[in-house]
Amino acid sequence: MVIDTELLPFFIWLPLALGSWLKVTGILCAVAILFSYLVAAVRNGPVRGAQLVGAGLRGGIADLVFLSPRRTFALARLAIQESLHRRVLVAFALFAVILLFATWYLDEATDNPARLYLSFVLTTTTYLVLLMALFLSVFSLPNDIANRTLYTISTKPVRPSELVLGRMLGFALVGTVLLTVMGAVSYVFVLRGLSHRHEILPQKVTSAGDSQAAGPTSGRTELAQNHHHDFQLDADGRGRTDVAQGHWHSVQVVRDGDRVTYEVGPPQGALTARVPIYGKLSFKDRTGTPTQKGYNVGNEWTYRSFIEGGTLSAAIWHFSGLQAEMFPNGLPIEMTIRVFRTHKGDISKGILGRLVLRNPETGLSAPTPFVAKEYSTDLQMIPLELTDDQGKKVKLFGDLVTPAGQLDIQMQCLELEQYFGMAQPDLYLRARDASFTTNFIKGYVGIWLQMLLVVGAGVMLSTFLNGAVAMLATFAMMLAGSFVTTIRQLAFGELPGGGPVEAAVRIFTQRNLTTKLEPSVTTQAINLFDEGFRGALKTLLAVLPDFTSLSDTDYVVHGFDIPGDMLLTHVVTTLAYLVPIFVAAFLFFRTREVAR
Amino acid sequence: MSEAVVETRNLSKVYRDFWGRQKVRALKALDLEVRRGEIFGLLGPNGSGKTTTMKLLLGLLFPTGGEALVFGKPATDVRKNERIGYLPEESYLYRFLNAEETLDFYGRLFDMPAATRRERTKQLIDMVGLSNAKRRPLREYSKGMTRRIGLAQALINDPELIMLDEPTSGLDPIGTREIKDLILKLREQGKTVLLSSHLLADVQDVCDRIAILHHGELKELGRVDSLLTIGDETVVRAAGLSDAAKREIQAVIERHHGSLVSMGNPTTTLEELFLKIVHDSTARPGRRITGSGPGESN
Ligand SMILES: Nc1ncnc2c1ncn2[C@@H]1O[C@H](COP(=O)(O)OP(=O)(O)OP(=O)(O)O)[C@@H](O)[C@H]1O
Ligand SMILES: [Mg+2]
Repeated sequence: MVIDTELLPFFIWLPLALGSWLKVTGILCAVAILFSYLVAAVRNGPVRGAQLVGAGLRGGIADLVFLSPRRTFALARLAIQESLHRRVLVAFALFAVILLFATWYLDEATDNPARLYLSFVLTTTTYLVLLMALFLSVFSLPNDIANRTLYTISTKPVRPSELVLGRMLGFALVGTVLLTVMGAVSYVFVLRGLSHRHEILPQKVTSAGDSQAAGPTSGRTELAQNHHHDFQLDADGRGRTDVAQGHWHSVQVVRDGDRVTYEVGPPQGALTARVPIYGKLSFKDRTGTPTQKGYNVGNEWTYRSFIEGGTLSAAIWHFSGLQAEMFPNGLPIEMTIRVFRTHKGDISKGILGRLVLRNPETGLSAPTPFVAKEYSTDLQMIPLELTDDQGKKVKLFGDLVTPAGQLDIQMQCLELEQYFGMAQPDLYLRARDASFTTNFIKGYVGIWLQMLLVVGAGVMLSTFLNGAVAMLATFAMMLAGSFVTTIRQLAFGELPGGGPVEAAVRIFTQRNLTTKLEPSVTTQAINLFDEGFRGALKTLLAVLPDFTSLSDTDYVVHGFDIPGDMLLTHVVTTLAYLVPIFVAAFLFFRTREVAR
Repeated sequence: MSEAVVETRNLSKVYRDFWGRQKVRALKALDLEVRRGEIFGLLGPNGSGKTTTMKLLLGLLFPTGGEALVFGKPATDVRKNERIGYLPEESYLYRFLNAEETLDFYGRLFDMPAATRRERTKQLIDMVGLSNAKRRPLREYSKGMTRRIGLAQALINDPELIMLDEPTSGLDPIGTREIKDLILKLREQGKTVLLSSHLLADVQDVCDRIAILHHGELKELGRVDSLLTIGDETVVRAAGLSDAAKREIQAVIERHHGSLVSMGNPTTTLEELFLKIVHDSTARPGRRITGSGPGESN
């Protein structure tokens, strides 16, 4: 999983976000008022136009102030009845059918079935719920206008604000219920899909001691779901298996007279919500000089930097805020290392490396060797007492971690001409695990936020567009909202090749992306146009929700706890979009002739 | 003269297409006044602008020119809807709701508390004669039944002003009679009724005053009784005369021997008046000067 943006704590983020929100909504309001004045002035003359806009604004404010909860809920209820009438339950039936057939093609033999199952249910739920929200919200108002049922409603003391809010609430509630049910079903589906037991045949168990009766034993389980585990038992007959396909089992010997059987527990550790503590990453080059980046081994995507084996080149994570209470059993370091081999070496063996724990103030350091496991996550438990480079005993807390809780962890590759690659989130301290169930729910909250945004935007756009067009527009918003990162790069000229015109010129003149265009009037014209395009994109970015980022299902899938601050940030962001969407929706609706 | 509940001044409406091009001039400079407590009929052939006038008065359409005032406020003000009941041309109701749910829903839109809603719902369903069908969804209703629930819906808030767009269309003779009685009862309660119709007999029976529209123009406006009076003719109605007496009727009347039942001005039927106006107006298009008719002298 790639975490490319740093997470700001909620209360630092809030004032910043609030500031830019106020700025953007302020500008939007000003533009809207100016625009409606211009239209009104052209139609009715400057004075009458101003009066009309003033009356409209007063009316709009009255619509908010006198909004009646009973009417709004009546309309919300109607929206729910309408949804049921339009067979939203079909979406749920579809979901059930998909799950039934999913078991056929969800391959249990992958190295992480939990990830597969989770990403499957989360993706399916997301698509179904969002599609349903889109269809419901976008066709409702246009249908009522086409069937003229709106005549009967609009001639009751119903305000446009209530009409719009009632719909949004109703459909949001339908979506919420649907999402909750799908979430519960998904949870059971994942648990059941992953659940399995292994058998242990006594003849596959070997005892280290001379008799079967006592002493540590080890063995191998039978196949289940296309994998087996090796296990170790202590003298009491208790133990656990190794990790395969992302989980392990507990094993216990059960003696019944002379008969010895083995009891294997359910899979554990497959569904986790790790709470990682990240450090800041910096590098040393092969001469030991500190740098910001490591070596590039030729990847175009420079997310990971590499360190060179057998030299002084190293990657250093700087941790802070570590306290002894957080780590009663030692320091659990979890890491995923990319290995880049310039020669094959011994392909059956991993590449050797070492982790050096170092006190950034005193320079005292203690090394731990490790073998890099390629393509999988490795957990190193650093004991509370270790030996330093001189062979003296040192304490983790007291000697290596500074009183302020700082610690450097330095990684080196020990084999010549081999490389280790890493990015900041590739090594972290797994301080504790949060509840998977809670994390699963948090993941669904993300989908819920997306659903709310779709409902809001759908209803808003359908106040002035007809159903099909409103659907396309909402869909376009979702799509553009999924490419916010790319749009941002385009807007700020971070992508090679320039803007649309420059890129087109490069295509037709068959130039590569990096050569500079020779300065000329044409080039200036091209740049001018592209600059305008970038300006338009920047404007778009100011109002476009970063749709995909609202949902954090990736965290759930990869077994990381969704940070509370991040979830809170997303909730507030969604709200910040919904408020102006609602206001825009009912203002649009006010200006509309119902009987056209 | 009592207070005007509905007032239009120079009201006109032009329907435009998406590009703002003019399509139909549906209403041309209409001046109307409906007073408290009267039953006012809007008459006119198909497409003459009756429904358009009502929609303008309800704020469903915005006027192209002029003003539409209801209770002295612009028709686009939502608050007036508290005191208005509207029966659309066709009943535009949610077909998946049943009669009770429908009335309960519209009751909620008037912010009525639950107990009031229940009571009103029961009362209105009984009144329009749908007690046997109140649990059936509206999609199963016949045209007349739909009309009835539409009418019940228009009365849910006990409105002061009731606008009925062709209230009797689709109703059987008994239903028509019931509606007419209901309209008269509403007037007794002091309500104002504005209705449109082309069933002239109905209008003649219930309306106090009428306006006749043609091609969006007001052609005639006045009290029904005076509009239908022919000034220079006399009619005599007699009873109990023998055949001989009948033969001598002229002489008998002159000599005042028969019993004179009634004597007065004959009336034309509204149908004749209506056809004459439409005929005249087609022959000589243009605005007809109104307000000078005998109806305006009250
Ligand atoms: N939405 C609309 N768009 C364009 N023209 C319209 C629209 N509604 C009505 N018209 C036109 O306006 C004119 C008046 O229509 P209106 O519905 O007011 O007539 P009406 O008197 O109610 O007729 P009817 O007796 O058939 O109900 C007609 O020519 C009609 O074609
Ligand atoms: Mg009509």
